[in-house]
Amino acid sequence: MIQLKGVTKRYVMGDNIVMALNGVDIQIKEGEFVAIVGPSGSGKSTLMNIIGCLDVISDGYYELNGIPIKDYDQDELADIRNKQIGFVFQQFNLLTNLSALENVMMPMTYARVHKKQREEKALHLLGLVGLSDRTHHKPTELSGGQQQRVSIARALANDPAIILADEPTGALDTKTGQEVLNALKELNQQGKTVVIITHDVEVAKNTNRIITLRDGLVLTDISEVKS
Amino acid sequence: MSMIKEYFILALKSVWAHKIRALLTTLGVIIGVSSVILLMSLGNSARLEAANQIRSIGSNLIFVSVFDAQGSLPNDWISLIEEQADIDAYSPLISSSVSYQIEGQNIDVSISGVNERFAYINSLDMQLGRFLNEYDVEFNTPVVVLGSKIPDLLLPNQSIIGSTIIIKGIPFEVIGVVQERGTNFSGDNDMMVYIPIDYASIMSGFSSINKTFYIAANSEDNIDFTLNRVLTYLSTVFPSDSNYRAFSQTQVLGVLETILGLLTSLLAGIASISLVVGGIGIMNIMLVTVRERTKEIGIRKALGARQSQILAQFLIEAVLITTLGGLLGLLVSYVGTLVISWITDFNVVLGLDAVVLSLVFSITIGVIFGLYPAYNASKLEPVEALRFE
Repeated sequence: MIQLKGVTKRYVMGDNIVMALNGVDIQIKEGEFVAIVGPSGSGKSTLMNIIGCLDVISDGYYELNGIPIKDYDQDELADIRNKQIGFVFQQFNLLTNLSALENVMMPMTYARVHKKQREEKALHLLGLVGLSDRTHHKPTELSGGQQQRVSIARALANDPAIILADEPTGALDTKTGQEVLNALKELNQQGKTVVIITHDVEVAKNTNRIITLRDGLVLTDISEVKS
Repeated sequence: MSMIKEYFILALKSVWAHKIRALLTTLGVIIGVSSVILLMSLGNSARLEAANQIRSIGSNLIFVSVFDAQGSLPNDWISLIEEQADIDAYSPLISSSVSYQIEGQNIDVSISGVNERFAYINSLDMQLGRFLNEYDVEFNTPVVVLGSKIPDLLLPNQSIIGSTIIIKGIPFEVIGVVQERGTNFSGDNDMMVYIPIDYASIMSGFSSINKTFYIAANSEDNIDFTLNRVLTYLSTVFPSDSNYRAFSQTQVLGVLETILGLLTSLLAGIASISLVVGGIGIMNIMLVTVRERTKEIGIRKALGARQSQILAQFLIEAVLITTLGGLLGLLVSYVGTLVISWITDFNVVLGLDAVVLSLVFSITIGVIFGLYPAYNASKLEPVEALRFE
């Protein structure tokens, strides 16, 4: 489903060229629950941006659902982000002037889903994350855990096959963080491919496979079979 | 279509969230639109007013004048013209003026020597009494018809008809007063008095006879033909066309309309500069808005917004702001016309064309000056935009 071969990413910073990724080979199959860990500067955020089609690779090969990403134009990349990938961000990235309901509806707006269907689906998803009574609250009126649950509901709006979570617990306390991780685990059990990017090994332990990055390279890739 | 509605609601929310800013931003458009519309309405009303005034004098009118020291027309010239063209009526005119001292004030009165057809040719209506008739003209009776301002000045608190006024030492009996006419190219009509032409011609200080004529063609269609006959005749009598002048009322109307039209376009053109300035203000604030909302744009892009959708969102927001400005400008200019009509007795009307134009203007300004900021927004890289705090 996700296949990276010799992927590099260069940034030009002034006169220096910084290699954020130095030739990464990763393959993630459908239905996997993966953590990509590494210290800051290891290139894990760059990797997440590339997997999420938010950024483009400098060299190498990236294939999503069997099609090389290089073959897609800007609009098609937007459609992939819209329908095939659900993002969960560390800072939630909810639009502050919209209600929880409107935030969840937004990806469906771009997918041109009919208004009535959008609203029904969004209400259903907010119900799934336990926020049926908070649908008309603005993000600022919600706790961090609630906001992250809204963003999980938003990530599910267009039924994507992949959930990309960038430090999903980073801004939460341990207890609410664990709730969010449990929610992601549940989504994986329902068949979604879930990729978590984190610096926290404890968070990574929730998953079935831990890929460790260091200096833009894959250091270890350990799958464990859980009982 | 549903997307546009979506963006429209989005834009409305965003404008509402920054009400004061939107209002200040749109001030330039309000001022621009209202000044353009107001000036256009004023110009159009002035044109209508001028046309009405000239029509009220009589649109069949032809005015013939020979300049001083260039000789005069033969006595029988008009009968030569009558043989060739259908003339309804004519009157010669000679003029002078006289000054009255009343209570230390100088009152200047123009005196016109005319025949009995003059009132008909110039569509003069009587307020009191009658105009000169053919007996007055034929038998040289010393009678006078007054312009509408004269009675109050020269005959205060007197019965007017039958009174006597002295003109250049000769007593004249007042037989009528003309209705108010206002001012036109022949001066203040209300400060004029009319006496029989032959009587005037023997008095001192009058212009010489057979130099100025008013001719009424028998229909509006005949004016150009008659005028051509007159001009052809004049060219046979005088060596150069700088010796005389002949023009019709419709020509005056045409010239006046052209001048007023030009003036209106010029003023509206100057006023439209403020529209451009307003547009630049919109562009400025939209650039700030796009920068402020970089994060939002990043989020929207991450969640699947296409470039065209971001472009549409910000473009519609700019157009919404300018359209609101246009509507407010329309309101301001409407109030402006009411105020002008109230202060002056000039009737200024806001035309439908002004309403349409203001909306077209403001939408166009929104598109032109919103396009660049919206394009900037649409081209933002999602990663960079997401990182923006």
